[in-house]
Amino acid sequence: MLALQRLIAELSAFWESEGCLIEQPYDGPVGAGTMHPATFLKVLGPEPWRCAYVQPSRRPADGRYGQNPFRLAKHLQLQVILKPSPDDVQEMFLRSLERLGIAAAEHDIRFEEDNWESPTLGAWGVGWQVVMDGMEITQFTYFQQAGGIDLSPISAEITYGLERIAMFLNKVDSIYDVPWNESLTYGQIRRVEEEELSRYYFEVADAAFAALLLDRWEAEAKSALAAGLVIPAYEATLACSHQFNVLDARGAVSATDRVGLIRRVRDLACACARAYVSTRGGVPVPANEPEPAATV
Amino acid sequence: MKRDDFLFEIRTEEIPAATLAGARQDLARGIGDALAEEGIAAESIESYGTPRRLVVWARGIPERQSDSESEVLGPSASAAFGPDGKPTRAAEGFARAQKVEVSDLEIVESPRGRTVAVRRRVPGRDAIDVLAKVVPRVIGELTFLKTMRWGKGDRSFVRPVRGLLALYGGRVVPMQILGARAADWTVGHRVLSEGKLTVSSPAEYFQKLRGAYVEPDAEARRAAILDSARRLAAQVGGRIDADSDLAAVLADLVEWPGLVRGSFDPNFLDLPEEITTTAMRVHQKFLPVRGAGGLLPHFIAVMDNADDRRGFVAKGNEWVLNARLADARFFFQEDSRDRLEARLPELDRLAFQDRLGSYAAKTARLEELAATIAGAVGRGDIVLEVRTAARLSKADLVTRMVREFTDLQGVMGGLYARAEGLPEPVWKAISDQYRPQAQGDDPPRDDAGAVLSLADRFDTLAGIFRIGLLPTGSRDPYGLRRAAAGAVAIAVSRRWRVDWSGVLTKAVSLYPAELPGLSERDALAELEKFFAERLRNSLERAGSSYDEISAVLNVKVWDFADAAERAGALTEARRRLDFRALVLAFKRIRNILGAEQLGEPSPDLYREDAERALALDFLQAKALLEELVPTRRYREALEAIASISPSLDRFFVDVLVNCPEEDLKRNRHALLGAIRREFTRIADFSEIVVEK
Repeated sequence: MLALQRLIAELSAFWESEGCLIEQPYDGPVGAGTMHPATFLKVLGPEPWRCAYVQPSRRPADGRYGQNPFRLAKHLQLQVILKPSPDDVQEMFLRSLERLGIAAAEHDIRFEEDNWESPTLGAWGVGWQVVMDGMEITQFTYFQQAGGIDLSPISAEITYGLERIAMFLNKVDSIYDVPWNESLTYGQIRRVEEEELSRYYFEVADAAFAALLLDRWEAEAKSALAAGLVIPAYEATLACSHQFNVLDARGAVSATDRVGLIRRVRDLACACARAYVSTRGGVPVPANEPEPAATV
Repeated sequence: MKRDDFLFEIRTEEIPAATLAGARQDLARGIGDALAEEGIAAESIESYGTPRRLVVWARGIPERQSDSESEVLGPSASAAFGPDGKPTRAAEGFARAQKVEVSDLEIVESPRGRTVAVRRRVPGRDAIDVLAKVVPRVIGELTFLKTMRWGKGDRSFVRPVRGLLALYGGRVVPMQILGARAADWTVGHRVLSEGKLTVSSPAEYFQKLRGAYVEPDAEARRAAILDSARRLAAQVGGRIDADSDLAAVLADLVEWPGLVRGSFDPNFLDLPEEITTTAMRVHQKFLPVRGAGGLLPHFIAVMDNADDRRGFVAKGNEWVLNARLADARFFFQEDSRDRLEARLPELDRLAFQDRLGSYAAKTARLEELAATIAGAVGRGDIVLEVRTAARLSKADLVTRMVREFTDLQGVMGGLYARAEGLPEPVWKAISDQYRPQAQGDDPPRDDAGAVLSLADRFDTLAGIFRIGLLPTGSRDPYGLRRAAAGAVAIAVSRRWRVDWSGVLTKAVSLYPAELPGLSERDALAELEKFFAERLRNSLERAGSSYDEISAVLNVKVWDFADAAERAGALTEARRRLDFRALVLAFKRIRNILGAEQLGEPSPDLYREDAERALALDFLQAKALLEELVPTRRYREALEAIASISPSLDRFFVDVLVNCPEEDLKRNRHALLGAIRREFTRIADFSEIVVEK
């Protein structure tokens, strides 16, 4: 048995030993660990950066009332950013599995093409899904662009889907049966929350209110940008993105609306990225300098 | 001269399976061509590769280029030397510029006449130096659908480059490519082998690689997969579907293919087979196992490992497949609660294309267009079924099953429609609407399905062309080439003789007139070119040659089935009949007449016997054609056309077409014009290539 909290502790310890700063989760609703400023902003610009953190990722439309064994309105990602991408990044990843007791030679581990794109963040990358014994356990991406800006150096992003890995390692057929620690299951901790989140997002959430919030947060992002406040502007952008997801789950986004809404959020994200790059004006940002990358 | 082998390996992180075969071939071809250009062609070139390496083995490369001579031309001899034979200032200047003595200048014959020149002997370079120069260039010229940057971000390739081996005759060819430096060692399998493998020859390379759990030959991996899969299937009394496409993909996902057999819960066998096999094939890339009575609850999976020592791989794959099938059963049951009709409002929120609106709008257009097509192909009697099928055709896109198993679009709609008790032509049409998916696939089973499939393709093509997003090069994100090729295949196989330009005009007009992009007319013109290209491919596969296809398409593109028949008849006729005289005559007619439009010839103005004979033969042939062409008896029509060759020949020998008498000349032009007009209803013979 490998309980969820042990899984998180082991992976965190592993990446800490590889020179990663252990960040804390972003303190607002986001759809993925990529949206955390520790990824989205830090992959911009020249300085090296290595960090890892768990990010609860909220996707209202994926809610299944706590009934579906695989889908959640809120799941956990463990996100790793390595900038610049080290030459032996794949081997590092395999060593992280070893830390979990997975000996690569006893399994089938493959890197299968799977490129990543986030239209709302103006970001895309090239990479793979890592498949172990038929199960997709991790998303592995070389970021090429974020906020519409071509990146240089390139960051490697490793995103572990924690619930899936835990299900797989413990061979349980439902997320809710995953052991959280020695005595409590994922279901005991989170099922009620999933039921309530699903009911809220699908039945109760006020679409007009969400639309209003989206408008207001958009205005807020713009005024923060006008005041030269990049981080608050980006936080307001993330709030817009979340309200868009709420509207979507509520079925309040038509095909034509969708394009326009995504563009509005993307425009904000791109403006934040540009502002982040330019307002720093060469001021060095404290960076987490790793050991020099191993050479092949 | 002594010859030696060149062995080259570029190691990368995992290259996508879909691009691997092309990359292998491009690299081998690029190196082969470059060596030939440099005058040191290899005796043979072989390409190998795995997801983590591209390998070229070029055998028998001469160790040196032969020496050559270069010649630089200067001023003309008369300008360079005076009448007295003394060099002029021009000669001195040229010699100085070329850094030679005036006495070294020679006089050669050039296209400009006698010219002063400097000749130098250029010694050939060693093969190893040539290789060091051209191989990095070839790598730089490889193209991929998508490239990426890594590390510092200053280099780009299909995936990060991690190592390089380059040996000529056992010596390292010094070169540096994308940050990697050539060496005389390689590495084996990522997890089954450790450390460097030093090699000094191709034979040693292949032997050591195989010892380190890497099979560099994709074909050998594919064969091994099929072989072991058959054996494993037989052990449980089954066989695998002959799925060599999947085997080829699997072969390019691994360096060392090992196979495992697993089982799934037999209760899932009562799911529709399409669902079970899609979950296995598409989602998990498993080979399903079939017994005498149908699918067996087993599968074969390929792993990148020699064996499954502790059973983890089989168990993991079983767990994943069972979970997926449980998911599928849940979706299937949930979906079956709602009728397709009830899902239509949801299509309003599903985008077909950013600028072209939702699937609800598409569905409305499809209904109209499908009804039009049914009428055009003479099946006005099935308009009702076709309209129903069109209206429900996209409803499965919002079912849970299709959201999760996108490959089952159409198929699921068909299954749900059948379960609802909709008439057979309707559910079959829904089920078949995406057929054929690729070249060689089965077309829709019956007319209603074919009509719906055409409507869907024409609607997509019309819309995307209308907003100007034409496919370019290798970029075809909407799969328009496949859509058009499928439409051609359907029209040809059903022998539906329709001028599709009318249907496409209608398809374009069903979109809002104010869409920015191409005008309706320009969109249609582009579509004609696009369809001509697809039709050309299809006719080439059917055995017609390039010039025959041009001859046929010059006459008309838009009736695909008719073009196919004309091409078939022409290709066949050229094997039996001598068209040479006719073709030469048509080329002459084209030269004489250009695009001149003329009236009918007048018999009163014939003067020569040859002229009268030709007119008579032509009238006979014309009478035949009037009967044969409308009934599409093209073979006989071509015989009639070929039959006037002798009199055409004689005409050009005996008759002076452009004679001084203006009225006779015009009449002769009119006769030739009439022949061209009548005979070009099947093919434009002037396009046919014959030897002079």
